[in-house]
Amino acid sequence: MSQLLILPVILPAALAGFIILFARNALAVQRAISGFGTLALLALAITLIQAPTQSYFLGNWPAPFGIALTLDGLSALMLLLTASLALIVLIHSIATGWDAQGRHFHALFLFQLMGLNGAFLTADAFNLFVFFEVLLIASYGLMVHGGGQARIRAGVQYVAFNLLGSTLFLFALATIYSTMGTLNMADLAQKLPLVGADDTGLIRVAAVLLMLVFAIKAALVPLQFWLPGTYANAPGPVAALFAVMTKVGAYALIRFGTLVFPGDLPALGGLLAGLLYPAALATIAVGAIGTLAAGALPRQIAFAAIGSMGTLLLAVSAFTPEAVSATLYYLIHSTLATAALFLIADLARTRRDGLTAALYMAAAIAMAGMPPLSGFVGKLLVLDALRSDPLAWTFILLASLLTMIGLARQGSDLFWKAPNTEAPAQSKAGVLLCLAALVALTLAAGPITGWLGQTAAALDAPEAYIAANRLGVAE
Amino acid sequence: MSLALIAALPFLGALTPALTQRFGRGIATATVALFSAAALLLILQHVPAIMAGQTITTQINWLPTLGLNANFRLDGLALLFALLILGIGLLIQIYARFYLDTSEPYARFLTYLMLFQGAMLGIVLSDNILLLLVFWEMTSLSSFLLIGFWSHLPKARQGARMALATTGAGGLAMIAGLLMLGHVAGGYDLSTILGERAAIQASPLYVPALLLILLGAFTKSAQFPFHYWLPHAMAAPTPVSAYLHSATMVKAGLFLLARLWPVLAGTPEWFWIVTSAGLITMSFAAGVALFKDDLKAILAYSTVSHLGLITFLLGLGTKAAATAAVFHILCHATFKAALFMLAGIVDHATHTRDIRALGGLRRAMPISFALASIATLSMAGIPPLNGFLSKEMMLEEAAHTAPWVIPVLATFAALLSVAYALRFLVYTFLGQAPAYAHAPHDPGAGLWLPPAILAALVVAIGLAPMAMAGWLVDAAASATTGEAVHAHIALWHGLQPPALWMSLAAVGGALVVLGLYPALRAAWDGAHKPDAKAMFDAGMGWLTKTATALTQGLHNGSLSRGFAVGLCSFLALGLYAYLSAPTLPGTRALTQISFAPVVAFGLLMTAALAATALHRKRLLALLLTGIVGLILSASFAYLSAPDLALTQITVEVVTIALMLLALNFLPKTTPRKTAGFRKLRDGGLAVAVGTGVAALAYTLMTREAMFPPISAFHLAQSLPGAGGHNAVNTIIVDFRGYDTYGEIIVLGIAALLIFALTESLLGTRWAVQPDHAAGDEGDAHPVMLQTATRLILPMAMLVGVYLFLRGHNEPGGGFVAGLVFAIGLVLQYIASGQDWAAARRRIPYHAMIGAGVLVASATGIGSFLAGRPFLTSNFTHGHLPPLKDFELATAALFDLGVFLCVLGAVMLALDALARLAKPQEGR
Amino acid sequence: MLTYALTFAIACFALALILNLWRLATAPTMPDRILTVDTMVINIIALIVLYGAKAQSAVSFDAALLLAMTGFVSTVAFCKFLLRGGIIE
Repeated sequence: MSQLLILPVILPAALAGFIILFARNALAVQRAISGFGTLALLALAITLIQAPTQSYFLGNWPAPFGIALTLDGLSALMLLLTASLALIVLIHSIATGWDAQGRHFHALFLFQLMGLNGAFLTADAFNLFVFFEVLLIASYGLMVHGGGQARIRAGVQYVAFNLLGSTLFLFALATIYSTMGTLNMADLAQKLPLVGADDTGLIRVAAVLLMLVFAIKAALVPLQFWLPGTYANAPGPVAALFAVMTKVGAYALIRFGTLVFPGDLPALGGLLAGLLYPAALATIAVGAIGTLAAGALPRQIAFAAIGSMGTLLLAVSAFTPEAVSATLYYLIHSTLATAALFLIADLARTRRDGLTAALYMAAAIAMAGMPPLSGFVGKLLVLDALRSDPLAWTFILLASLLTMIGLARQGSDLFWKAPNTEAPAQSKAGVLLCLAALVALTLAAGPITGWLGQTAAALDAPEAYIAANRLGVAE
Repeated sequence: MSLALIAALPFLGALTPALTQRFGRGIATATVALFSAAALLLILQHVPAIMAGQTITTQINWLPTLGLNANFRLDGLALLFALLILGIGLLIQIYARFYLDTSEPYARFLTYLMLFQGAMLGIVLSDNILLLLVFWEMTSLSSFLLIGFWSHLPKARQGARMALATTGAGGLAMIAGLLMLGHVAGGYDLSTILGERAAIQASPLYVPALLLILLGAFTKSAQFPFHYWLPHAMAAPTPVSAYLHSATMVKAGLFLLARLWPVLAGTPEWFWIVTSAGLITMSFAAGVALFKDDLKAILAYSTVSHLGLITFLLGLGTKAAATAAVFHILCHATFKAALFMLAGIVDHATHTRDIRALGGLRRAMPISFALASIATLSMAGIPPLNGFLSKEMMLEEAAHTAPWVIPVLATFAALLSVAYALRFLVYTFLGQAPAYAHAPHDPGAGLWLPPAILAALVVAIGLAPMAMAGWLVDAAASATTGEAVHAHIALWHGLQPPALWMSLAAVGGALVVLGLYPALRAAWDGAHKPDAKAMFDAGMGWLTKTATALTQGLHNGSLSRGFAVGLCSFLALGLYAYLSAPTLPGTRALTQISFAPVVAFGLLMTAALAATALHRKRLLALLLTGIVGLILSASFAYLSAPDLALTQITVEVVTIALMLLALNFLPKTTPRKTAGFRKLRDGGLAVAVGTGVAALAYTLMTREAMFPPISAFHLAQSLPGAGGHNAVNTIIVDFRGYDTYGEIIVLGIAALLIFALTESLLGTRWAVQPDHAAGDEGDAHPVMLQTATRLILPMAMLVGVYLFLRGHNEPGGGFVAGLVFAIGLVLQYIASGQDWAAARRRIPYHAMIGAGVLVASATGIGSFLAGRPFLTSNFTHGHLPPLKDFELATAALFDLGVFLCVLGAVMLALDALARLAKPQEGR
Repeated sequence: MLTYALTFAIACFALALILNLWRLATAPTMPDRILTVDTMVINIIALIVLYGAKAQSAVSFDAALLLAMTGFVSTVAFCKFLLRGGIIE
């Protein structure tokens, strides 16, 4: 049996353990270990993205009795995205010396990656909760990295709001377990259609509560309150890494919305899509208006990130293979674009020279969904997938406009009105790598969307995922 | 492939200035010019084929699932525009080389210019309309950079943003319009779309698509009421104005109208919207131009007016009108680009562009005067120049169009056009020369040669229209209309009514207008005019202010509001989900309850309520919370969950210790902040949510699961499969050991986090000396306490080891054991202080956490050796006389990892907080 | 007979808990309250053991033992806090 599936989780965990045990005062060693771990995760992700759908049974216990991991296209994609972003963020953190601003950056960073990877791989709802905890606590640690009053204050908001989500997650899981008697997602997918029509109330409660949990993570309106302060006050590279944190919520929504609670499940009757749709529209509006209102650059990017989550979830709410495929493309794009902007904002804090301005412009173009970068392609894909929905079009296009105006004003104020070339130049390697990834995403849009189309089709018909879990079959 | 290469050449050229700037401006210019010239040559190479009526296409798949492909197309219309873009582009490059000051970032300028050129060329060469959109928005973006080139000037920044907002908004509308169009036509390639006229015009989406596309075209081509951005874009350096705002970018909207003319034109909607927009723009802008004093402003409004003229012609929907439109595009580009360059020359020579401060330059600048005369008279439509020809064609078409207001307005606009053109020429070059600060003189050839070439074209096309431009106009008009066009353009058709009469009337009228100018000017200056910029700024200001108010009102950083909204949504949506579907009643019978548990329950409730009510007195609230924990532990014991009870007891102790440490840093009472109404609201919400949770728990506990729960398997397999009697422990370390693996890491991270936080707070105002006002009576380290705790430590450890070892079969395990150890150590801290304890600590707590994670990981990985998945357990029974048979399980090793992690985490957190509580050195 | 004795004893300790609560509400000073809670721990230990005896199950005795061993730690911590303003110096 291939052990590859578990490595994205235990490799960073063990490396972090190693750092704490042997290298907690040796920054150079920490950097080397972190770098090695991130590269290894990238290599693993590249290997896994070519692998067929498969499961891994922890402790050799058959599903649904033990915990199973299941790798499919979506999981592999998220692993790859996480690893790529991690590499970018790590390069930036090391190059700009952010990692030396407080204690335990690298251990927390690796634990964060472990949490993300674990969440993307698991096929067990409770285990998802566990990894939500891992990534929450690690991200909290990274968020307050370096200290400072504003940051710690914002950190309290972040952790408090997300603990509210964790509590709700537990309620939802309790509801699921005590009605369905199982927590394995494939098992749930098989059993839920068998629930009698006269006893669906609690299933619906569980579904809605779970969706709310994921909505908190995804910063869906009206549960977005934690995001602006958090992202704006987090250290630059950490905010960039957080670009993938909201995507965890989106991932979970897609996973549960396609596998466990698909639109054609009689017990739900389109309940989730019906709730998701108006919330996504509101999210787009809040994000775009916030981006226009601006203020400081990091806060503005945070709102732009909210807006892009709205667009993403609007596409998700359609739950058609076409829309999911568009969503996934947009998800990759939005993660990288947000990250790029946060890294640039970090550079622009001190030095605002011509090159930084050019990088800002490129990232802002991507974020606002202007050509020629992937934002435009993503936006076209989403619009095309929602082509019978003029309301969605209006929201998306108007949001694009407001975002563009907001970012243009910010850019002209920051780089044209108040340029600053006094401060020493900082390494732009991370930013350049991130933008290169965006360019690659744009140029290779054809093959990528082709692959995403297959992935979305597999999500729409999750037989392979369920089969991989070999439910009830002992080895 | 060649077309894609042509489209790519300017972009490649845009990369070169960064590399070539060190060799000087001449080399840098020559290099980019080389790219433009190469593109031009490659285009020209296709001319014979185009003349033969062919359309050249290349196709590269980019995003076939969406229909966004890099498909290019070169036909007559594209040829006309490509020649303008590249030809005038070359002249602009030369002009700019001599125009811009040496102190300016010239390489950046060239890069922006080439980016723009590439985008513009891309628009006209695109076969795929989605690709066209890509280039379309890129022209908006690159022109944003060019307009804002002098970024230190507020006018430049504002102009750039205004242009971007307007044309960008139009572009977004166009995205929607073109997507609809492609959807109706069944494809996004022009080759597909142009053949679907009937289907498109019959579709219900025709009108929305048309409106959205027109919005895009009108904003780009500065048609009323979107004209306002163009005059403000004049903040750009003059070469930019000459290129973007006369010859190319503003023509992109017209290009699109012409490009889609075969499928969109010919309907009443098209006719009325497009012609009226064109006519209004044409006459209105010509009028404004008459009263402007800045040379570039006059030219800007003149451009708007001429763009209106072309729009009007395209709106008419006839073949002849379209031909006239195409011809005028060519003519206007030649004379207007020349005029902009000349305005720049005058500006350079006299350091002013205000027409009132100019005059009499004909002697000082004879070359400029000659060139300006040619271009201006062409703009006025005076024979034998090319402007005359195209204006005649326009008037001819207008004359044949009902209702009568159309020819009248067209004549009126022509009249104004003559008037402002003459004013431009006369006031600048004729009359008396004012006292110039520096004697003006003609510039070097580098500046006058580019407009001279254009002026030569103006004359040549005017004198020999068929030879010079006939072929191009035919090709372009054929491509526009989709039918073969053979235009007959001649300088002199004889005394042909009505166009000639209208033209004469225009000239005559213009002279009258100029004669009356002072009176008209006084009226104009006295009139109240809506200022487009002020309106735009006010609109933007309002939008931004509203957005800011909304955003700050919504995200004011209040945690309690976020919580309130969140809890309300949980409650509302949960209730909705529950009530909108049936639920069967529970089947489990309620258990009996006796006296003591009722008392305990009452105690629990009272303590919880009291803690809520008295939460402002923090120490008391903590004490009450302790009671809650105590009763909770007892309930676990009572309800036969000894594992939980053990854990809860130890957790409580550790929690209270940590909380007391944290209280060091807090005021002893919480300030009263909440007002009466909010208290009521929050209290109501809390009660509602609590009730909801209780109801959910009650509902769940009184029901059986619908499917056999997996716990049956755990109970059955605990001993045979996992080798332990205690199913709780086997679940924790084996069945769901992976969850535990995650959770111990959570604990470890939390401790690291507390450590890092306190570390960053050391030496800040948070790390104040603990508040001893509460009391510093008694001994800091009482001997009795010290002695007792020394005795308790080994006892606690023994209990811990015992709990750990038997964990697999009886209540206990690594988690509880770790906590019991920690309690023993905490006591030492309390009794003897942090310094004492730290001095006697051999193993750093960090190391314990790290070792715990590593031990747990290694145990899990150990099963790889047997080819089993992570955390597969193995167990055997050992005999070691005189002991009883005992069990050796890998799970116990994993449990050791848990133990280490828990112990390390608790102690690290405690130690970190204790360190922070110590009086700081130097304070 | 033993059953009655156990029931009686349980009732007594339950009553003691109620009295604890009364004392907690009326205690004049913080140290009194801390003592009350300490007494409560003792009463709970008794209740756990008595219930174990009544149910003829020793499974929860460990909990009672552990409570006995660690319950006082909180009391000590509270007292230290009251006396010195901080529990670890």
